[in-house]
Amino acid sequence: MSDIKYLTILSGKGGTGKTTVSSNLAVLFARKRKIVGADCDADAPNFGLSFGIKENDFSDWQEVQTNEKAVLDESKCAGCKKCLEVCNFGAISWNEKINKPEFNSMLCEGCGACELVCPNGAIKLVKINNGKIASVKTDYGFSLASGQLNIGATGSGKVVTLIKEKASKMAQNEGANLVLSDSAAGVGCPVIASIQGSDFIVAVTEPTPSGFSDLERVLGTVEHFRIPYGVIINRYDLNFQFTKKIEDFLKKNKIPLLGKLPYDKKFIKSLINMKPAVIEYPELTEKFEKILKKIKDNI
Amino acid sequence: MGKRIAITGGKGGTGKSTIATAVAVELAENNRVLLVDADVDCPNDHLILGIKRNKVKDIFQPIPKINKKKCKKCGRCAEVCRESAIVQVKGEFPVIIPDQCIGCSACMIACPFGAIEKDKKKIGIVYNGSLKKNLDYFSAETELGVEEESPIINALKKEVERVEKEYDYVLFDTSPGTHCNVISALQGCEEAYSVTEPTPLGEHDGELSLKLLDKLKISFKIILNKSGIGDRKIIENLEKKYKTEIITDVPYSKSIIENYSKGIPIEGRSIKKFAEELTRGEVEK
Repeated sequence: MSDIKYLTILSGKGGTGKTTVSSNLAVLFARKRKIVGADCDADAPNFGLSFGIKENDFSDWQEVQTNEKAVLDESKCAGCKKCLEVCNFGAISWNEKINKPEFNSMLCEGCGACELVCPNGAIKLVKINNGKIASVKTDYGFSLASGQLNIGATGSGKVVTLIKEKASKMAQNEGANLVLSDSAAGVGCPVIASIQGSDFIVAVTEPTPSGFSDLERVLGTVEHFRIPYGVIINRYDLNFQFTKKIEDFLKKNKIPLLGKLPYDKKFIKSLINMKPAVIEYPELTEKFEKILKKIKDNI
Repeated sequence: MGKRIAITGGKGGTGKSTIATAVAVELAENNRVLLVDADVDCPNDHLILGIKRNKVKDIFQPIPKINKKKCKKCGRCAEVCRESAIVQVKGEFPVIIPDQCIGCSACMIACPFGAIEKDKKKIGIVYNGSLKKNLDYFSAETELGVEEESPIINALKKEVERVEKEYDYVLFDTSPGTHCNVISALQGCEEAYSVTEPTPLGEHDGELSLKLLDKLKISFKIILNKSGIGDRKIIENLEKKYKTEIITDVPYSKSIIENYSKGIPIEGRSIKKFAEELTRGEVEK
């Protein structure tokens, strides 16, 4: 049985540098061991873009169906309004003109409560395509699994779970022993799906009131799943006082500080050129190597 | 009735909250403004503006509770639960996993013996606050570990509905991305401003945001933040493709982010221009 480790990068607040950290660590890890990357932000997938990979560069897009939606057979509906009463997600409204319910597919969770309550069998749940997943080989010696939630679709977390499963299968086939996931922002369902099953979490923060507050929230979420974690402070030199505050918080709570990264225009230029910073600017390698070593000590 | 306006965006960290708070302050000079922080995952507007939050109420969702006197261990509840929140081993009482439950009540409807009672779990908190005369604030925050967030946004919107007639503008600051809590926040907004940045990531995620707004049939325009860091053309291409316009360019400088890190809201010409855009529509009417 293979022993694959799962490393997940997240942040709470958006734009603190998750994808920058993920892409640079992935390149450096891949120089030492076989890895697979996973873009676990199905809402707004950017991991591939950080390696210059665009949607059309993935060749094996596969539609996925993780959700169901309620559909009405009007001929069977008697207009009793029971479905309207039972929906907890505001997905059903009443059309007074025809005295029938109307279903808002964007709000429907596919829970099936309306189907169960309907005395006339007028409501059926049908599977819908709500996203797609794919894989690609990067130019940096490893493969990447990615996905995209369809616009207006629900089930972001479930699509993330499928992306992780795909990455896991790829790792098995390719003999990789590390899956590195770049998560979405926030603490909601896609992030929880990214956290579940991870062996170690890296949280990226920045020395701002929002960055710190969101770090505490995302770490609270990670604690919920009892997974070990460490923190990277990005752009630490923007506000030394606040960085100190975060460092004190980490020390007090015995949370490992994995490293600090400076504010550097080179990171922005790398994103614009769609090449990881350690490739464009090898002088930045050392900073990430140190972080990598600390992560290795933890997993 | 306050006009509902959304400040949204695909990519995180492009400046949604920075711009929403700044324009709220600017608009409040001459209008009554309600700022609604609908990023229930990570609400930050109160941190940026230094607003003290007051708790309005807890938000609950229903969860099932098995009445063991009535339960016949038939397993129907576990069968209908699509979230795998009920597990039943044959011959045993079903076990409920509250973390997985989204509160749909399907199990209660399906139980042939009326053995499932309604319990509740706390999923979030609604807050309000005020910065100054003419600028009030509403927000909600998810309890950690809760996955299903649309009921939290809906509870927040209910509170907003109660007071919004007292305002000229109701600004909804959403989460980044395109998933359900963004959709719930956008529904009911009359117009939206999608904040993006001139990088390939901003272009890609910005387009997803515009596609979502298109699908929701909400009219939209673009706000270009961090203007000057990359290539403006890639966002101009989106402007053409979606027949919209970039209404303002917010410049990028180290000093802006340094101020942000100290909790100082941005101001200046670019924000004034956005506020003018919002108020101009009113004059035309």
